[in-house]
Amino acid sequence: MAPPVRSDEQGHATVTIVTGKAEARRRLQPGRSGTLRKIWEHRADYAYVLPAIAVMLMVIAYPIYYTIELSFFKTPPGLQLRDKTFIGFDNYTAILTSQVFWKVTWNTLIWTLGSTFISFVLGFATALALHRDFIGRGVLRAILIIPWVISAVAASYIWKWIYHSDFGIIGAVLVGLGLADRPPNFIDNVSTVLPSLIVVNIWREFPFAMIMMMAGLQTVPDQLLRAAKVDGASAWQRFWHVTFPHLRNVSVVTMLLLAVANFNSFIIPWIMTGGGPSNASHIWITHIYELAFGRQRWGVASAYSVLLFLILMTLGYFYVRALSGNERNEGSA
Amino acid sequence: MAHVVLKDLVKTYGGFKAVNDVSLTVNDGEFVALVGPSGCGKTTTLNLVAGLVPITSGDIVIGDRVVNDLDPKDRDIAMVFQNYALYPQKSVYKNLAFPLQMRKLPRDEIDKKVKEAARVLDMTHLLERKPRELSGGQQQRVALGRALVRDPAVFLMDEPLSNLDAKLRVQMRSELKRFHQDLKATIIYVTHDQLEAVTMADRMAVMNGGYLQQYDSPAQVFAHPVNMFVASFIGSPAMSLIPLEASAANGDTVLTSAEGWSLKLSRLNARKVQRATTKKVVLGARHSTIKLHKSEVSSAIPAKAFTVEPTGDVTFVQAFLSGAIVNISVSPNIAVAPDEQIWLEFDQERMHLFDGETEMALKAD
Repeated sequence: MAPPVRSDEQGHATVTIVTGKAEARRRLQPGRSGTLRKIWEHRADYAYVLPAIAVMLMVIAYPIYYTIELSFFKTPPGLQLRDKTFIGFDNYTAILTSQVFWKVTWNTLIWTLGSTFISFVLGFATALALHRDFIGRGVLRAILIIPWVISAVAASYIWKWIYHSDFGIIGAVLVGLGLADRPPNFIDNVSTVLPSLIVVNIWREFPFAMIMMMAGLQTVPDQLLRAAKVDGASAWQRFWHVTFPHLRNVSVVTMLLLAVANFNSFIIPWIMTGGGPSNASHIWITHIYELAFGRQRWGVASAYSVLLFLILMTLGYFYVRALSGNERNEGSA
Repeated sequence: MAHVVLKDLVKTYGGFKAVNDVSLTVNDGEFVALVGPSGCGKTTTLNLVAGLVPITSGDIVIGDRVVNDLDPKDRDIAMVFQNYALYPQKSVYKNLAFPLQMRKLPRDEIDKKVKEAARVLDMTHLLERKPRELSGGQQQRVALGRALVRDPAVFLMDEPLSNLDAKLRVQMRSELKRFHQDLKATIIYVTHDQLEAVTMADRMAVMNGGYLQQYDSPAQVFAHPVNMFVASFIGSPAMSLIPLEASAANGDTVLTSAEGWSLKLSRLNARKVQRATTKKVVLGARHSTIKLHKSEVSSAIPAKAFTVEPTGDVTFVQAFLSGAIVNISVSPNIAVAPDEQIWLEFDQERMHLFDGETEMALKAD
């Protein structure tokens, strides 16, 4: 086999002389810096992605940098941003010691975990129900997706009316049925406002979980379910031993996506309550928005944003790990 | 172990009859292969026996029980699937233990049975592995083991070897045969590969279009195919089927080709041809029963070699006769070139004759 290889190399050498001196020189020094050579060989590819990278740097990297920078400054309202004064970590200590911060954080936790978990369970249950074949399944599926495709702003206004203490349909029904003397006040009440908003949020996003889980269910191998049937597993045991383990990864991904979306929710609480009454429905994003654009406390808002960014990066890390670890995790029971 | 009886088994999907009046008996300890092309109803039949698909009509008896309405788990069967259907999240040990757990056996008994099955199949060292860490052959063995631990009355196997590569398939074939001999297990085995059926089964049920065509030992099916479908499906290369016309000449019966040549039949074969419903008769001949001559011989039919395929042990020559492809095997030291003039001599004793209308084999008595 040796002679043909050698002649092949000679062939290459002839070609390199034709293509260029630098190339020929590089070829004469084999094994020099593999990485650099690879980059050089793919120089056109790098050139093609360069504009995209430049835009990304402008619209993502710079704002991130500027937000971090602002978070270390005091920016009195009414003044121009160039009058900001450096105050180190004061914004952060102010945030972490304020009562509102802990109130809002607690709200965010309840909001995120409650919405994510219940949406997922409800979506999964619906997906399982719709996985069976029955008449009207397609129509039902289409109807159930409506909340998800409807505009969040429109949905918020609709629900605001549904909850309305004077004209709301829920109140009217409750009174009509004799379950309440007068319509309950859902969103002007400190203790019921957050759960009421969470209900709206779940209504809006459980179809997403449903779609994800329906897609997942279609990938469960039929043969495995048949094998389990022959092995004597009941319907519940087949779900527990075959279906559920198979859906583990899609479940994790779905919950992470929901969690990130919920953490970043803005439209529903902002439109329905604006964070009130007395911060009872403020979550991080609405609070940051109000600090920055309502009270123009850019520094504090930036510090909040940096903290939020760190938390979301952590969530993002787990998301990427769940995605890339699909194969690795598949076997672990 | 137990015997299995299928009686007038029918399965329809809407207007489509997937399984048509299939009746057959699998004796205790017998290895029966259901064989046929895809869509012939063999897998459906197996699923009916397993209880994975409800029957439309007919009866299934396993042991001495009619199991028509029983769930798969209550039929005392175990099944081996084409893709092995191992639980990917469970270790080999847990895969083997699963059917026993579902039957709520005590833990120590499960342990004993799993270890015994692992020993029998020589995979004790694999027990802690996950299915994806195993080779195809090993996965196949685990699937077999999961069926084995149950000690079922009947093993149902759905193309268990078709996912393996050619070499491993041959190896697993002999392992399965050994497994059957050692355990005296009743096995119903579905395959589209006639070679698997011929090599492993005690009896084979050849199916086509939802109908059972022939149910007999591989040797009988090979030697006496009941119709043209079975004749062409069993054996490789396929039996050559040449459409001809019967006529009488000088007191002899001859088969005449539209190409002009004719073949004089022996007395026995002539009697067979007389039973044909019309004059149309199909001559069937396996490659090994046709003799190839390179020069003219009386009673041999002239033809032209079309392709020549040397395989090492034998060389296959293909020719066209009356528009049909004819396969002939010759010794590799006989050199035949494409387009060369050859003469083909048919063995009167080993030729098959079929009714050109009904496609059924013609019999002398």
